[in-house]
Amino acid sequence: MEITTSDLGLAARVQHLTKTYGAGEGAVRALDDVSVGIRRGQFTAIMGPSGSGKSTLMHIMAGLDAPTEGRAWIGDTEITGLGDVELTVLRRRRVGFIFQAFNLVPTLDALGNILLPFELDGRRPSAVERARIDGLIETLGLGKRLRHRPHQLSGGQQQRVAIARALATAPDLVFADEPTGNLDSATGREVLQLLAAASRDHGQSIAMVTHDAIAASHADRVLFLGDGRIQADHPRQSAEQIAAYMLAAEVAA
Amino acid sequence: MTAAAVSGTLLETPLTPSRLGWLRDRGMGASVLVATLAAAFGVFLVEVTVYIGAMLKADPEIGESGTLAVVVAILSVLLTGVAMYVAAIVTANTFATIVAGRTRRIALMRLIGASARSQRAEVARQGLVVGMIGAVLGFAAGIGVSAAGAVIGGAVLPHPPASFSLLQPGVVFPVAGVALTTWIAAWAGSRRVLVVTPLQALGGSADRSHEEVAARPGRHVGALILLVGGALLLAVGVVLGLANPLGVVVAFFGGVLSFTGLSIGATLVMPPVLRLVGRLFGSGPTARLAAENALRYPERSSRTAIGVVMGVTLVTMFAVAMESAKALLLRQTTGDDADIYFAPMDAFASVMMVLVAISAVIASVGLVNLLTIGVVQRRRELGLLRAIGLTGRQIRLMVLLEAVHITVAATITGLVLGVAYGWIAAQSLLGSLPVMPDFEPAGLVAPAVPWVPVAAIVAATAVLTLIASVTPTRLATRVAPVEALAAD
Repeated sequence: MEITTSDLGLAARVQHLTKTYGAGEGAVRALDDVSVGIRRGQFTAIMGPSGSGKSTLMHIMAGLDAPTEGRAWIGDTEITGLGDVELTVLRRRRVGFIFQAFNLVPTLDALGNILLPFELDGRRPSAVERARIDGLIETLGLGKRLRHRPHQLSGGQQQRVAIARALATAPDLVFADEPTGNLDSATGREVLQLLAAASRDHGQSIAMVTHDAIAASHADRVLFLGDGRIQADHPRQSAEQIAAYMLAAEVAA
Repeated sequence: MTAAAVSGTLLETPLTPSRLGWLRDRGMGASVLVATLAAAFGVFLVEVTVYIGAMLKADPEIGESGTLAVVVAILSVLLTGVAMYVAAIVTANTFATIVAGRTRRIALMRLIGASARSQRAEVARQGLVVGMIGAVLGFAAGIGVSAAGAVIGGAVLPHPPASFSLLQPGVVFPVAGVALTTWIAAWAGSRRVLVVTPLQALGGSADRSHEEVAARPGRHVGALILLVGGALLLAVGVVLGLANPLGVVVAFFGGVLSFTGLSIGATLVMPPVLRLVGRLFGSGPTARLAAENALRYPERSSRTAIGVVMGVTLVTMFAVAMESAKALLLRQTTGDDADIYFAPMDAFASVMMVLVAISAVIASVGLVNLLTIGVVQRRRELGLLRAIGLTGRQIRLMVLLEAVHITVAATITGLVLGVAYGWIAAQSLLGSLPVMPDFEPAGLVAPAVPWVPVAAIVAATAVLTLIASVTPTRLATRVAPVEALAAD
């Protein structure tokens, strides 16, 4: 019997992942035989320069894109080969997303956005989930903003709503794509502390793609990608250490 | 990554496109189609008017009496006017959305140093080109259809005109009119160019999720005055009509005034109707998202809806007016020859309904535009919905519901208005008619609603809605969830 993802203590993993764009002479290999797992309950940062393949890796891990070769799992579910509807339902129930551009639905108020994954599933949150959401709203300080539309909220507030939405279903894994990219540094730091706290206090598995060394310094683990491969896998590091590694890698390349 | 993405979007929208490259922009093709339809319709009506005039002359019984020819001419002018009006509304809407899609490029031009006025003038100039292309195409199409019609007429009619030339000077009016109205409509629709700031080129500017509808109280006051004044005239027409058939003339002007007020004040009248219909959709997530989307740009949705309202109102009006008139006239006779008596009236009503339906077709092109631009402008949002769990089927349903939302609201409004106008027309014209048994004036009668045409109207708008939503739904389902993650 095959070893499952959860046996390994992982929330998601990929095996021998290759992704090629185009064909023939002009083919670009965005990912080159990548095998890696995101540990359950950890806050993992995926770093790398532009074109390193970090976004592609995240897209495939989250079931948003299909690999050219290799396999991917979320929890114990293999997602490579799943149909569009199955993938959609899987994302709805078991994956959370936080984006750089906040990406709230502008026609829904804050609460409507937070509850959207449940509504899409055609159900109301259970008592346990309701308590969880109330806790999130309190932790994120959104209590007074629930009836506001996104355009009435500041960037930091919008990102908090997005975090609440991503965490509301207690997904197997939350993907964050440059979550602080559009925020000022103080607001960005708050957002990162909230993510770190979600992981530390509630065992939420989070994978964050970033090229910001300060953002990555909040993570428990830092993966470095370069040229479509995992170049390094470090435990928690300071921003200086991360920046120094990145600089050295860029100079060497 | 970000830098690559930015240069990518700039490459897609070249700053110096080839001279007519902008014609490939989304929305331009639809504008050409709208102008073509309106021009072809106008040209065809001019030809029909002249043809009927010639035919009447050839008829030995009717001979030189010109009254019927004049009536046909007046109807042609009115119908062409309505079609051009609807076309202009659709075009203005389309250009407003084209400008919204070009905001980034306009901002960049402003950053480099172009003035807002010159940018707006460029959009208007493109409107003139679109109008001219549509006018020429419409001229060709209208002449083609007319030629076919003349051949058929020559074979079928008992007294075909002896000589009939397709080269009528009158066709200049619809052709030039369409080119000009398209130009003006493009100018009117490009107002938002003026509010684009150079800063918007520098990225990071979040999409404004709600159109800030500039409060223009003057316009609303004008619309209200027209509405109230028109309604008063309609009432006076009905009262007058109890004594004299000329009440219909007063009512006619009341109808024109109130309907103009309605179309100018579309943003005042339609949003409440849209909100009401949206509530009927229920509370499912897809339905709620769709209902909110239709109200996201209330001005745009209202104007699109009013185009459909016009078509439905006019068709319903003719049907109800005819049916009510028939009901009144029936009370005048006891004979069994009613069917023969009413056959020409029915035929006339059918022809009018078909002709008016052309405006509904033009309006539905506007619906396609509205939906398409709605999809294009919120690709990121659709990607987001796909990423967090909306299936392709739900996305398709959402866009379809947006279309249904607009047409249901428009059809209900149009049916109510059409019944009212049609009843007032019949009542003010025939209210003084002496009826059986003792030849007292008819007085007030209930409106007679012919159910077959009404059912046909509902079915036709349903079909138009389905057709109009084919392309937009396909576009929407093609949005990949990854697009939500792309930083621009």
